[in-house]
Amino acid sequence: MAQHTLEVIVENSPGVLARVAGLFSRRAYNIERLSVGPTANPETSKMQIVVNLDGHALEQVIAQLDKLINVIAIKEILQESAQPTVHDTQPDYQN
Amino acid sequence: MSQMNGASSLVASLEACGVDVMFGIPGGAILPAYDPIFSSPIRHILVRHEQGAGHAATGYAQVTGRVGVCIATSGPGATNLVTPLADAAMDSVPVVAITGQVPSVAIGTDAFQEADIRGITMPFTKHNYLITDPAQIPRAIAEAFHIASTGRPGPVLVDIAKDALQKMTDFEFPTSISLKGYQPQAVPNTQSIIDAADLIAQSSKPIFYVGGGVIKAEASRELLELAQLLGAPVVTTLMARGAFPDSHPLHLGMPGMHGTVAAVTGLQKADLLITLGARFDDRVTGKLSTFAVNAKVIHADIDPAEIGKNRFADVAVLGDLKHTIAALIPALRSALSKNRPDLTPWLHQMNSLQSAYPLGYDTPKDGALSPQYVIERLGKISGPHAIFAAGVGQHQMWASQFISYENPRTWLNSGGLGTMGYAVPAAMGAKVGAPDTTVWAIDGDGCFQMTNQELVTCALNNIPIKVAIINNESLGMVRQWQTLFYEGRYSNTNLESKRVPNFPMLAEAMGCIGLSCERAEDVDEIIEKAMNINDQPVVVDFRVHRDAMVWPMVAAGTSNDDIMIARETAPDWDSQEL
Ligand SMILES: Cc1ncc(C[n+]2csc(CCOP(=O)(O)OP(=O)(O)O)c2C)c(N)n1
Ligand SMILES: [Mg+2]
Repeated sequence: MAQHTLEVIVENSPGVLARVAGLFSRRAYNIERLSVGPTANPETSKMQIVVNLDGHALEQVIAQLDKLINVIAIKEILQESAQPTVHDTQPDYQN
Repeated sequence: MSQMNGASSLVASLEACGVDVMFGIPGGAILPAYDPIFSSPIRHILVRHEQGAGHAATGYAQVTGRVGVCIATSGPGATNLVTPLADAAMDSVPVVAITGQVPSVAIGTDAFQEADIRGITMPFTKHNYLITDPAQIPRAIAEAFHIASTGRPGPVLVDIAKDALQKMTDFEFPTSISLKGYQPQAVPNTQSIIDAADLIAQSSKPIFYVGGGVIKAEASRELLELAQLLGAPVVTTLMARGAFPDSHPLHLGMPGMHGTVAAVTGLQKADLLITLGARFDDRVTGKLSTFAVNAKVIHADIDPAEIGKNRFADVAVLGDLKHTIAALIPALRSALSKNRPDLTPWLHQMNSLQSAYPLGYDTPKDGALSPQYVIERLGKISGPHAIFAAGVGQHQMWASQFISYENPRTWLNSGGLGTMGYAVPAAMGAKVGAPDTTVWAIDGDGCFQMTNQELVTCALNNIPIKVAIINNESLGMVRQWQTLFYEGRYSNTNLESKRVPNFPMLAEAMGCIGLSCERAEDVDEIIEKAMNINDQPVVVDFRVHRDAMVWPMVAAGTSNDDIMIARETAPDWDSQEL
């Protein structure tokens, strides 16, 4: 499974957790784990998000996260077990 | 710095942002703001439904390139803005929405007219704010305008608690804005420009796939120069109609579900897509895995998240298209001086497709009026500077196909969300933004019944738009799908709108001139008549034949290779060398 850990520095503003969680949910990205904690700077917080890519491209997840105005920086924490990113397009559908 | 209440600070901030007009409706939570609005030089246009305010702000923005502003009260006022905000997000339109919210102590108590509009609009605003401290108002407004209008444009909502509007505060408008998490890249990286130019110079079947971003970036002139330098064919998507002159010999028309055979096939057969401000939407690509399978892709866009979202990009160029295209021109000139592929065979193929499969339509045998003919005449008589705003449905596709767009910002429609009810209020906003230009709403009989009440607003505020209702007495586009895919079982698509309502009478009741037209021989005269009424809105009920269909068509979920030019009729591929 393509699991990746992202460390996301966000502005410590109301609603920021909802923005991140909402983004993952509406774009059908799977969150395996999420934690939020303080940083040395009281104006920012740090989120650790473990995402299960499930066919989505990591670059796309990061780019979408980065579009949130309250997201300041995103870094991938590399782990031993990390799998290479799969570049997949959205499935075809009919509507 | 001066002392005033939050409401005055809001209006002073809007003035500082250069707002000249806003569209809205007051109510309890936003009422404090309406007091300073009363004495502000900003023109406030009192609409009849907040959805109209939102689409009017959108139409204004699409025509002027400036930020459109709408304003509403809490609860139902705010939720009525949901559709136009979602619409503006899908079509990347710079809109700022201001909403009143219940007093801060009441937030979270299910107070009267409380709705969490910030939560509701999170998925389809570029950003949004809930302000409970009056001192934050100027900065929030300044940031909202900055965010809405820069980078990839989009809607921003600012929800302000009533007590924040009432409390006293010091007004100080920020002189600069810096957002740590928002720094759109305007100037493209030089290497990406060189890579793009080199790839173009190696291609023998390149095509320009032009999206709405070119219009937003005001890059039409640059595009014309680039396209002529290379001499490659151009297609303009539904959002890009007018970005490149329809009359230009390199223009193959619109691609996608109802695109021309040449434009659809041009993309399919190309060896290189030069993608400028387009996003590989499913309505353009058809079944994605079969889209332009032999093409490499250059993708130039200001939004990094569009790169690789639906289609892998061999070369990505991030930046404002005005800069990007301007930089590509000399880079390409130099690349072509080293290697200039012969595009003649490719152009020849495209030209033969164009002449074999031009857009066309049948004239009904019983003498009934063709909708396409009406729309074609509207375009011809109104000329290349007139602005057209369409609803959603068959009439929208015909308006895109049968009017020749020569200039950017003359074609407005709801491309991404497909919002019925967009046309009349968007035309109103467009006319406010371009008062000296002819503005036509080309609307369906179904769409018109969703938002026509804004004609009252137009009549009372001297906004003389013209509306052509393409009255086929049905939800025509849905009916077309029922004809093609549901064995002609017309479940709930018959509107009976040749019986009720009486559109000309409805128009007259709203303070407009109402006209009606049923015969082809009267079309020109009635259009001329409408063109000569410029002190009042005009509505023409064009009573057209009901069974006309939009062709060509690529059925949803199928491949662009399976384009049909009429029912069960594919192009005669064997006679084409491709
Ligand atoms: C708000 C909304 N509801 C439903 C639809 C689905 N829909 C798409 S086109 C269409 C028919 C539109 O009818 P009309 O305005 O008469 O246009 P026509 O297709 O007949 O030209 C409908 C119902 C939509 N796009 N938007
Ligand atoms: Mg209709």
